[in-house]
Amino acid sequence: MFDPRLNERDIVAVAADHHTHKPELDREALRDVMRLSLWAGQMLLQYGADTNRVEQTIHRLGTGLGADWMDILVTPDAIVATTINNYEFRTKVRRAPSRGVDMTVIAEISELSYQVQDGKIDRFGVGEKLMAIDERPHYNRWTVVLAVGLACAAFNRLFGGDIATFAVTFFASSGAMFARQWLHSVELNTVLNWVITAFVAGIVASLAELLSLSPLSSTALAASVLLLVPGVPLINGSEDFLNGHITNGLARSVWGAILSLAIAMGLSLAITTMGVSGL
Amino acid sequence: MTILLAVLEDALWSGVAAVGFGVLFNVPRRALAYCALVGACGHAVRTLMMDQFGMGITTATLLGALIVGFMSKFIARKLKMPSMIFGITGAIPMVPGVFAYQTMIGLVDLIHQEPGQIQATLAEAAVNGVQTVALLGCLALGITAPTFLLEREHPVV
Repeated sequence: MFDPRLNERDIVAVAADHHTHKPELDREALRDVMRLSLWAGQMLLQYGADTNRVEQTIHRLGTGLGADWMDILVTPDAIVATTINNYEFRTKVRRAPSRGVDMTVIAEISELSYQVQDGKIDRFGVGEKLMAIDERPHYNRWTVVLAVGLACAAFNRLFGGDIATFAVTFFASSGAMFARQWLHSVELNTVLNWVITAFVAGIVASLAELLSLSPLSSTALAASVLLLVPGVPLINGSEDFLNGHITNGLARSVWGAILSLAIAMGLSLAITTMGVSGL
Repeated sequence: MTILLAVLEDALWSGVAAVGFGVLFNVPRRALAYCALVGACGHAVRTLMMDQFGMGITTATLLGALIVGFMSKFIARKLKMPSMIFGITGAIPMVPGVFAYQTMIGLVDLIHQEPGQIQATLAEAAVNGVQTVALLGCLALGITAPTFLLEREHPVV
């Protein structure tokens, strides 16, 4: 089997010699490699990065902070990672339930990971930077309401709506966005939030037909709920499928389907309540 | 001339839609204008292909998504930002939202349907469902194809 002249330390060395070694890290440094790279990965997964990006960024951060290698398992709402440094290794689980989409987080963590790779920032700097990213600026609540209302109204024009349906869609979607933010702030379940928000959008958009504002009133109904379409889970899910992350792709796609179902239920309820002809 | 105007109008509204969703996704301010540009070009190309060249919506979406994908890579290198910011936000105007919830409305309708109507409703829901999946697949392929083509590296993870 193995050479009897080898002592125990050498056997471990043989087992770990399939990868190159970096300088040995002390306990605290190794702990920080794990903690910081998983923290960054957790934020990426929570705020809408696809699986490949989460894996690659954690790997880049971990090896940049001094680990020889990292093994990373990304599941739909948790990350498991192992850092390896010479003869030491650590494994940690980190939960990362979805928190919506935030591109500022993704941009800043990505930039940070390249700085770490180039050796421009140490583990203390990374900790401070991640804390700052956690408290990043957001667009003002009312800016979001107006921007989303305008976006859905623009969709109405793309569907061939006229000026009346444009205005109705704007008010329906802005109102719905306001409702969605409020329901989110009172911690309501996301699926129920989607049903209620779609209902609100549908009720307001029905006014286009009830008040005979336009012959194209159904375009207002169709466009007013688009703020709820789970575009990011659906696109990321398909990207994960293409990259071979089948389980994560499935989870994201099913989540997208559930939210689409919630929209359909809320909208049907509004159409029945208001007695309009629907899509 | 009317064609050009129609395409420009399409580009304008798609750009507005992309920026609106960019604000919702908390896209950094300096990237918002580029999101509008990418979203406008992608959707305008799709509309042009469908209206003027008689292309089907699926092929046209693939073409539009490829434009979004390559433009995102180019802008991402220029601004030193991840390309997914421009890719996802730029693809939003082409996401088959209406198909997705029409599929679901069709399935919900099956619950209280007259026996003679069931086949028609089911067939319609199935067609909408396949359409949704096909369009999403085209979008994802179009956005990721530049990565597959330009950055072929042995995976590090």
